[in-house]
Amino acid sequence: MRIDAIDVGLKIAGAIVRPLVYLTLCLPAAIVVVTSFTAGESLRFPPEGFSLRWYQAAINSEPFMDSLWASTKLAFIATILSLAIGLASSFAIDRFRFRGREAFRTLTLSPLVVPMVVLGLGLLQFLSWMQLNQTFAGLLIGHVLITLPYVVRTLTASLVLFDRTLEQAAMNLRAPPWRILWRITLPLIGPALVSASVFAFVTSFGNITLSIFLGFAGETTLPVQIFTYVEHSYDPILAAVSTIVILVTLIVIAIVEKLVGMETVA
Amino acid sequence: MKAANQKVEQTAFDEKRTLSAGADASAPVVSLRGISKTYGDFLAVENLSLDVKRGELLCLLGPSGCGKTTTLRMVAGFVEPTAGSVYISGQDVTALPPYRRDTGMVFQSYALFPHMTIGANIAFGLENIGVPKTERARRVEEMLTLVELTELTHRYPRELSGGQQQRVALARALALRPAVLLLDEPFSNLDAQLRVRLREELRLLIDRVDITTLFVTHDQEEALMLSDRIVVINRGKIEQIGTPEDIYERPATRFVAEFIGWCSILEGVVSNGTFVSSGGLTLPVNAAAGPTTIVVRPEYIKPVTASSGRSRLSGRVESSNYYGAMSRLSIAIDGEKLLMETHFPPGARPAVDDAIEIEIDPVGIRAIPAPPKNS
Repeated sequence: MRIDAIDVGLKIAGAIVRPLVYLTLCLPAAIVVVTSFTAGESLRFPPEGFSLRWYQAAINSEPFMDSLWASTKLAFIATILSLAIGLASSFAIDRFRFRGREAFRTLTLSPLVVPMVVLGLGLLQFLSWMQLNQTFAGLLIGHVLITLPYVVRTLTASLVLFDRTLEQAAMNLRAPPWRILWRITLPLIGPALVSASVFAFVTSFGNITLSIFLGFAGETTLPVQIFTYVEHSYDPILAAVSTIVILVTLIVIAIVEKLVGMETVA
Repeated sequence: MKAANQKVEQTAFDEKRTLSAGADASAPVVSLRGISKTYGDFLAVENLSLDVKRGELLCLLGPSGCGKTTTLRMVAGFVEPTAGSVYISGQDVTALPPYRRDTGMVFQSYALFPHMTIGANIAFGLENIGVPKTERARRVEEMLTLVELTELTHRYPRELSGGQQQRVALARALALRPAVLLLDEPFSNLDAQLRVRLREELRLLIDRVDITTLFVTHDQEEALMLSDRIVVINRGKIEQIGTPEDIYERPATRFVAEFIGWCSILEGVVSNGTFVSSGGLTLPVNAAAGPTTIVVRPEYIKPVTASSGRSRLSGRVESSNYYGAMSRLSIAIDGEKLLMETHFPPGARPAVDDAIEIEIDPVGIRAIPAPPKNS
């Protein structure tokens, strides 16, 4: 009887909380998207009228387009590097029992635990000591660092589930190690590689704290550009830029979904 | 030398066999010389030597953890022996990685590549040794015909039944025409009925291809039915090597007798061709005088018929179980327990505590050779 009461109670609570959670998750984005179509002069909800003028403004704005490109480039290169380093680390963690293996695993995951501000400050000092501050390389190192935990997490999880007899079977069929990696292991952990890249890309693309610390005059990332823009003006161009970013992200996710989905079906 | 090997790989199967047979037909295909494998303090395989002759099906039989799979993996190259050498076709391959050894292995889980079609699975090995595309396609077709799965070329492994997967794994291993086929418990993932059917098919297939085979199993029935010779392994050591009949009828050790089939084992002393068990049971036996262990297989024990002329033994039924084709009885006689397997006409099976008269075919009473003193 009492168990039933608890069950019913939880069910009702769930029915109320669930829509609230979805609403809180979606509403901010929805408001930004809706606002971006305003015909008025200020960033306000509900929008006044409908126009595409702020999209035109956004596309014609050199700072925004430059920073969009800078962010994309940075996130892309950071993802590639992070995948390469992360894949090697995950293999080492999964396949070998070496001294300090646990410490190594913790180390690769630690950027998640250290507050971003602390990490930024530390990197700033470290990079200037290395004579790398205010450079693209410095910014890239920072971004690789913060994307690495996601890559290592995803790939080690996938490698643990990987059936190593398949590699032995390939070896028995005269495949040398590099060929096994290329033809057997990588294709089979492909879905994990894709989701690791998505995590890494999105993390790098959206990061602001580290980019502020390590940023330099030559190239500003989009989040930093938006952040600094908000400090002095507050017009709907921000909503338009944000909507473009949301759209691009959705397209990327859709493509990935399709790719990974096909991988699982095939 | 290596180029020559590859050339041979690419030419027809028969050609290769004639060629290697011409070299030395009587030489063993696989030869293990004093191999040992230790994992920390655990001795998995201890100083083991054996030869697999050309064209024979040799079975490594033993309980789980006895080292038989470790031995197979040392032949394939997945496990490096702590001591000793492995020879394949006369070449010392102990230091060679698995992909340089001329073996074809069927794994317990089959290990088919899930992201490749059946055709691609079989072609994979051929690709690795550089067989040209047209020849590859021809060979895949040939292999699929051999295992009667031609219509499944474009399917994926998970769309196949367990039995079909096993045949694909076999075809994949045979496509490279290896010197030796290695089978690691290939039937353990199948249900009982399918297992019996598939092992008959496997034997026919192996005979048709005429390939030297090393087979690992813990299932004694499988071993007896499939093998040309059986190697019984226990705790990393060989207990006995022999034909299935040798192993069953003339077990060399108490372990072999107990592991293969059912039997009664009696300890006692032989004098003047008569065995007297420690419990007091007397049996005729053909063995040297002294303390002896006797094995009696249950099918040699029969209920007494009118006039067989053999000495009768009177006992009491301790348990009586019906198995359909036969019944299995445990009989207490003179302080010993004897297992008997025989068919009773309907309604004639003795019940527990019934008195029973039995006779034992003297051929079925065997002494186990005394173990060497130092072991």
